Amino acid sequence: MILITKGKSDMPIIEVRGLYKTFETKTNTVEALKDINFEVEAGDIYGIIGMSGAGKSTLVRCLNYLETPTRGTVTVEGQELGKLGDKELRDLRSSIGMIFQGFNLLMQKTCLDNICFPLLIHGTPKGEARQKAAQLLETVGLSDKAAAYPAQLSGGQRQRVAIARALACDPKILLCDEATSALDPQTTQSILQLLKKINQETGITIVIITHQMSVVREICRHVAIVENGEIVENGLVADIFTHPKSKAARRLIIEGKDPDEWEKENGAESATPGNARAADLTTPILHENRRIRIVFGTTSSFEPVIANMILTVGHPVNILKADTKDVGGTARGEMILGLPEDKDVQEKVISYLREHGLDVEEVD
Amino acid sequence: MGTWTPEVIQMIIRGILETLYMTVLSTVFGYVLGLPWGIVLAVTDQDGIRPKTGVYRVLDVVTNIMRSIPFLILLILVIPITKFIVGKSYGSTATIVPLVISAAPFIARMVESSLKEVDHGVVEAAQSMGAGLWQIITKVLLPEARVSLITGATITFGTILGYSAMAGTVGGGGLGDIAIRYGYYRYQADIMIVTVILLVLLEQIFQIIGMRMATVLDKRHV
Repeated sequence: MILITKGKSDMPIIEVRGLYKTFETKTNTVEALKDINFEVEAGDIYGIIGMSGAGKSTLVRCLNYLETPTRGTVTVEGQELGKLGDKELRDLRSSIGMIFQGFNLLMQKTCLDNICFPLLIHGTPKGEARQKAAQLLETVGLSDKAAAYPAQLSGGQRQRVAIARALACDPKILLCDEATSALDPQTTQSILQLLKKINQETGITIVIITHQMSVVREICRHVAIVENGEIVENGLVADIFTHPKSKAARRLIIEGKDPDEWEKENGAESATPGNARAADLTTPILHENRRIRIVFGTTSSFEPVIANMILTVGHPVNILKADTKDVGGTARGEMILGLPEDKDVQEKVISYLREHGLDVEEVD
Repeated sequence: MGTWTPEVIQMIIRGILETLYMTVLSTVFGYVLGLPWGIVLAVTDQDGIRPKTGVYRVLDVVTNIMRSIPFLILLILVIPITKFIVGKSYGSTATIVPLVISAAPFIARMVESSLKEVDHGVVEAAQSMGAGLWQIITKVLLPEARVSLITGATITFGTILGYSAMAGTVGGGGLGDIAIRYGYYRYQADIMIVTVILLVLLEQIFQIIGMRMATVLDKRHV
């Protein structure tokens, strides 16, 4: 397990304590968020992942008080948002940029004017605003689109303009609400790389709401998994990837599915992912009744562990799935093994693997 | 040949000018009242940016009542107000008063629906940047809805043009007045036809100008 320790001296830039959000409709009450607690350190890229309807969009809106929580506190840079007046809250919002799934650009204004917009509403003189906006267009690689209208741009380009706009007031925090969900995989990649670059260059704290595990794996350092309005698990992405504890995390990581796909699968009443189905086909031959997942860190990949293990134990195992994933910049090998029926053999396999420094997880 | 004397032609030209005077001024004053009214309706509605159910309900009911009074009856009902403001109850200047009173709630509804067409996400984005209510109205809602607002203004203009002709029947002046007096009371069908054609032409011209402006200003399809 890799432990990344960071100086605890500095206060978290975002701190959420005992947060509840209840929506009252005429017919019923919906508890969108229940007892949410987490903090985000300055400079971090923090992912919040969950299915649609899990409450993550409401959660991110509580971070800049676009939604007022029913109970609990949100503290940003030491200021408790619930205690701020209207004007103070609006001023604070200039230090929290936000981008959206639907980009939300002003369609009747040029790209340059869109980026000028937040500067102008906070009283920056026009000339200065235009200069800053031109600079930001360069940062997001769209210098040639200053005079273009959003309708003339592709989805990825629109999101770049939205990012430039969100960065206009030099915010300390950038909130991304499903910012890549409307984009194709390639464009998603380029937007994620851009966010990563901005994070590294400016030290801006980024909070990413997504339903795509790939997004979290790609750029987040910390992640919170939200299910039915509650955080079921949070921590370092690398740790959760290695030792998922909650059911939701397991589904996300082990099955490698994005929540979209859970719904589809659950709807079809066949929650068996591809690798388990493959296992079903081999079961009659190997009679395996136990599956484990092992994760290779950086050291264990030098040695042919599985081959040596089979030689030592003297029993074959079935490799149901093998994959390499990029977790926060480091490659992690992942394998799912089907073990033979014999309990002793199973124990031998597991202890062999553990002795050789691998993380072993049971898989249902 | 006897119909088209220089006097008649002059009268028709004056009629055109009076009609334009009434229609343009009524549209302008109608917007002076109707635009803020429509903005308040859009903003205070349940899913507006500052929901105020009480305010919305009162304004909503008032708008509906005023909209449902037939124009000819309104024309007579507001005579005391007209006299108070203009000093007399006939002529084209006096007609502007009932025209404005009748147009304002109509305009308010047009403005309300135009503003409600603006994508909520854009408003939310502006809020996330710290924009205040006034900034959202003037820098987001109105500019983003401008195409719909101009289309609405064009429709309003046409409606007021028609109403101004109706006001002519009770001494309101303008082309409608001429059509009634000569065409109807004196059976001079040729004069009536000419005034009707002129009204149609006026409507056409303003319609074309309005739609052109809307197209040129629409940057959503470029």
